[in-house]
Amino acid sequence: MNVVVTPAMLGQVIISGILSGALYAMVALGLGLIFGVMRVINIAHGPLLMLGSYTTYFLYAHFGINPLLTVPIAMAVLFVVGVLLQRGLVFRVVDAPELSSLLLTFGISIMLVNLAQLAFTSDLRAVEYITGSWLVGGLAFSKPRMIAFVFAAAVTALSFLVLKFTRLGKAIRATSQSREVAMVCGVDVGRIHMLTFGFASALAAAGGALLAVIVAIQPEMGGVWTFKSFLVIVLGGAGNYPGALVGGLLLGLVEQVASLFLTTQLSEVVAYVLLVLVLLVRPSGLLGGRQT
Amino acid sequence: MTSKAPTALAVALALAVGGVMPATAQGPIRIGASLSLTGTYAKLGKNQHEGYQLCEKEVNGKGGLLGRKVQFVVYDDQSMPATAVRLYEKLITEDMVDAIMGPYSSPVTEAAVNVTEKYKKVMVAPLAATTSIFKKGRKYIFMVISPAEVYLEGLVDMAAKRGLKTVAVVNEDTLFSKAAASGAVELAKKKGMQVVFTEAYPKGNTDFSALLTKIKAANPDVIAAATYFDDAVALTRQMKELNVNPKMYGVTVGGDLPEFYDTLKQNAEYIYGATQWEHTLPYAGNQEWFESYKKEFAHDPSYHSAAGYAGCLVYAEAAKRANSLDADKVREQLLKLEMRTIFGDYKVDADGFQVAHKMVTFQWQKEKKVTVWPDDLSKGKPLFPTPAWTGR
Repeated sequence: MNVVVTPAMLGQVIISGILSGALYAMVALGLGLIFGVMRVINIAHGPLLMLGSYTTYFLYAHFGINPLLTVPIAMAVLFVVGVLLQRGLVFRVVDAPELSSLLLTFGISIMLVNLAQLAFTSDLRAVEYITGSWLVGGLAFSKPRMIAFVFAAAVTALSFLVLKFTRLGKAIRATSQSREVAMVCGVDVGRIHMLTFGFASALAAAGGALLAVIVAIQPEMGGVWTFKSFLVIVLGGAGNYPGALVGGLLLGLVEQVASLFLTTQLSEVVAYVLLVLVLLVRPSGLLGGRQT
Repeated sequence: MTSKAPTALAVALALAVGGVMPATAQGPIRIGASLSLTGTYAKLGKNQHEGYQLCEKEVNGKGGLLGRKVQFVVYDDQSMPATAVRLYEKLITEDMVDAIMGPYSSPVTEAAVNVTEKYKKVMVAPLAATTSIFKKGRKYIFMVISPAEVYLEGLVDMAAKRGLKTVAVVNEDTLFSKAAASGAVELAKKKGMQVVFTEAYPKGNTDFSALLTKIKAANPDVIAAATYFDDAVALTRQMKELNVNPKMYGVTVGGDLPEFYDTLKQNAEYIYGATQWEHTLPYAGNQEWFESYKKEFAHDPSYHSAAGYAGCLVYAEAAKRANSLDADKVREQLLKLEMRTIFGDYKVDADGFQVAHKMVTFQWQKEKKVTVWPDDLSKGKPLFPTPAWTGR
């Protein structure tokens, strides 16, 4: 009953792994930013992604807007949602013990999922946009996943450029390194927190918008993304932003290759075993933590 | 002790008995149920609820049950087994309902039945399709729909009749899907087909590339997938992406929802699905029921609606024949009962396990579900073989 794995099959799953890895990296970067800057683990990251998916769905279903054009709109909408959440709730727990922030964001997460259920019902939605694949030399490049990959890569690259070269990016990194020193240097830390949360929510929304053309949309779709993002930033090194890229691609590849050689079920186990190993051997993540 | 205390007690007792007894005797028969009105199963649970409501309306329209009106007491279990357990406990011990009907889904029923058995309450469970629930020596639970194991029977049977030799079986790793997959594997072997690939995947899986890459290498004639909705959609989309081309491809749950076609559009064509019920099936009164349901709730019913409705009628019929709501008397009747409703046939074995109801297999053809199996209930013919993705 076993299938012999050929190089072509391995090549196929490596492609799939890289395609999903880029998406993991982009979404996890958002979670990593919030953790780096505020020391808050945002459990609501996945539900924010879900809101991004619904934004795309409604713009597509009711106004016929091309799903790809909805990516920036979803990002803008969720940026505002993120800023409001930070201003209204999250800022209260920035200096509190980490358990408080976990509880708060867990609560926000439950609230968002249930509000989505009330507002959108739990009916499954889907955006049927582009299907099929490009076949290159026997290897299939899934069209929707390739498009998602290109967008995710672009958004991630842009995010790194912003972090690296702009005044705002420098201020974010400075706050992440040492809030006190940043404050002394004239950085408005409160404003940076707010913008970071908004920016991170926008990254989640981009992931949601791109996922909308790949998977079915429902209020509980986000939960798994919180966990995957968490896995990615721990693998890559919490607070180390390029680490999200390494962690994301690694997770994507590990999942796919393990599914090929073992089973789809065991691939999740392998991903979490990897997490445990990394925590044991390199507790600060593969690239080390907090060096920005 | 003074003589006043016993007198007071007697008065209180008389008041309690006198105050409550006549009221319940003339009040409605209250039927308790927890349903998945929110959460993962909300859509299906709501349809089942509407089935119950329509049954309530119909029974009351015909003069009620045992001379009393019928009234459903329904709570929302949020699709969670643990919540359902709490709610059935409350229905029986606090609300003191007169009868019980089942919740939605196998996992929730499996949990809730422990409560109803404990209190010796009959539970007709119209939406539990997992065989094991009924094979644990439980006395008071009754099955209405066909078991999970036969969901893919039609697909495998048609494939074997057309001389196909190899089949791949994949399933979500949950109670129902596992049973559906193992049923398909058993049946394929019995029909002399070779099972060339089996694999389970976790609930919520969205990427089937590796799984399908392996299936493509195994190159089966038939892909039988024991799915729910999300995974059926993702699997189909990725089959197209990876250009996996079986001669027949069938799914279980989810494939029969109108949303399946809305989501996949023309990519849903040729896909086989299994359903417990269709409004086009030639059962007496089926079409009329379909129309009245649409009028009442402004949307089409699903099989969950029909099964809920039929399960409730089955209970009412058994209670009528028993001329009582007593659990043991109703149970006796439910074991004997043979009944045909708009949902099809009802008859159970000594365990309360459904043996008469027939599953039908359909194929998506030109945006419509066309019933193609079994022959005596079918109107159409399958389009066979399924053309390659690139040749459509």
